[in-house]
Amino acid sequence: MKDTIICRCEEVTLGELEELAKKHHSSARELKLLSRAGMGFCGGRTCRQAVDRVLTSITKKDPTDALPLKVAPPVRPMSLVDLGGAAKDE
Amino acid sequence: MNNRIENHPILGELEKRKKVTFQFDGKSYEGYEGDTIAAALLANGIRTLRKHEESGNPRGIYCNIGHCYECRVTVDGETNVRACLTPIKENMVVESGKVQPSPLDPSKENIPRTYAEYMEMEGEK
Amino acid sequence: MQVYDAVIIGAGPAGLAAAIQCRENNLNVVVLDEYPKAGGRLLGQLYQEPDGTWWNGIEESKALETKAEQLDTDIRLGVSVHHIETLDNQFVVHTKKENFTTKNVIIATGAAESPVPVPGWTLPGVMSIGAAQVMTNVHRVKVGEKGIIVGINVLSAAIAQELHLAGIELHSMVLPAKHIISGEQANPRKVIDDLSRVAHLAPSKFIQFGSKFAKYKWAQNLALQFYPKNGIKMWEMPIHLRKAIKQINGTEKVESVTLVDVTADGEIVEHSEEEVQVDFVCIAGGLYPLAELAAVVGCPFQYSEELGGHVPIHNERMETPIPGIYVAGNITGIESAKVAREQGIVAGLSIAKKESDSPDIIEEKLQTAIENVKATRKAATIQFHPNIPEGRANVSAAFSKIIDEQKTETTKEKIS
Repeated sequence: MKDTIICRCEEVTLGELEELAKKHHSSARELKLLSRAGMGFCGGRTCRQAVDRVLTSITKKDPTDALPLKVAPPVRPMSLVDLGGAAKDE
Repeated sequence: MNNRIENHPILGELEKRKKVTFQFDGKSYEGYEGDTIAAALLANGIRTLRKHEESGNPRGIYCNIGHCYECRVTVDGETNVRACLTPIKENMVVESGKVQPSPLDPSKENIPRTYAEYMEMEGEK
Repeated sequence: MQVYDAVIIGAGPAGLAAAIQCRENNLNVVVLDEYPKAGGRLLGQLYQEPDGTWWNGIEESKALETKAEQLDTDIRLGVSVHHIETLDNQFVVHTKKENFTTKNVIIATGAAESPVPVPGWTLPGVMSIGAAQVMTNVHRVKVGEKGIIVGINVLSAAIAQELHLAGIELHSMVLPAKHIISGEQANPRKVIDDLSRVAHLAPSKFIQFGSKFAKYKWAQNLALQFYPKNGIKMWEMPIHLRKAIKQINGTEKVESVTLVDVTADGEIVEHSEEEVQVDFVCIAGGLYPLAELAAVVGCPFQYSEELGGHVPIHNERMETPIPGIYVAGNITGIESAKVAREQGIVAGLSIAKKESDSPDIIEEKLQTAIENVKATRKAATIQFHPNIPEGRANVSAAFSKIIDEQKTETTKEKIS
């Protein structure tokens, strides 16, 4: 089970998440930055619930009303071209 | 190959729709108007839509409604298009997602990470 | 520059119903959805009501879409919203193609599926249960020759029946293996209890399956103790409350799964591995409210197990504490599409009232619509959690608390 991928986008495993969370006593944000789980293409829509459970199983804290992570726009991946950049160097 | 559900006890017979020809990784396939890329490919028996950029592990649809981005493909030159949300069009050119080179990953190639390592590797040559 | 009265994000039952109310009150609205068809996840739904009639999501969606079109509603499909920006008394809804400036926003983005990670679940052929539903009923494409469902709950049972109707062979329905993520979903005792609690609603054979175990703990324990080795069959498919999936096997795609026996508490029985040939696997980990845009615009949240996770705080009028931001449908809690549709009517009328010169007339309709939400909830044949009304009451209380605090702040400011 330790080798099971939790974050599909970044291929982060359960073992990696548990190890990082324990070693660094991570908050949700720290665990995301350390592991990259939830930082891939889907923005964490697929793995967020699972990552939160890994974390709460270690901290033994119930979920609070506050969202574990700040949600920042854009909530869909954007290319630099979409944001107004040029497609090619000119 | 036909994986279409032609008859359904409640939803009835599959309506006749216009045929659409499109390309996937250089091969020609047929689907129907209104099909998404993912549906048309699955009807043709194709599940694998991309390889993970780094590991090369194969991927297909996972959520099928645009949330997970696992089905992202290149459509007429536009990268990272979700196959599950994008309807096929006549002569559309679809390409699967490929493994990307990762020159900065020292685990894959022998690249020095520090100046000391660089000097050491130079010395070995 | 055009300023809309309302931008509605999501063309599912909530969004379309809201749009219809807005258009009936002559408001200038646009409905945005990233899916190429209108109807949202209602599209895939197909189940039998207790009276024997079929709830056909495609027809229900079509009815809503047709009505909206008759009212000249501007519905834009294939458009993904990625940001809601706040200006003074206005919002700008950002999409890849263009931006929409509006006085009000209804966020009706529905739900997403929670994963139950299984070793091998990234292989092509493994999909969420909702993915199989859409492929089967909306696209009418077979997801495979023979599959297995991981996760035994109301949603997966409803979709198992849909796959069966479409002539797709299922080996069985099994539990996820016990680990920190699957949690109670891997506990046969919890699963059987959940099933028995929704049993009285009996929309179909499945829920009647739950009623076989009655509500008494001793009966449930007995049922688990003597659970038949070959499962209990429903639509020719065994349901295994004493088997779990250990891993999914294959190199390029799904080739088989490894199952194990579990005890009545979900513990894996050693040396009980059994390999089963399948070419697809559906993972059913339940639904959670998809509220990312509500978070971006600054809505406060409340965690509610009954409602499926973190929900943006709102009142019965579907208002959030942010003036001009409304919510409707599964973003407010996981419930049936019928409840979502009624909530959409409420949200639409709330905006109509806000923008109207004669709000009293609309207030009357709004009160009726609010009552309809409750009545629909009570009569719902598909219920995702037995304590939804409690969850709803807590969220409403949280809304009142925030508004009271805001009032106190304003009074303090006036005094000082």
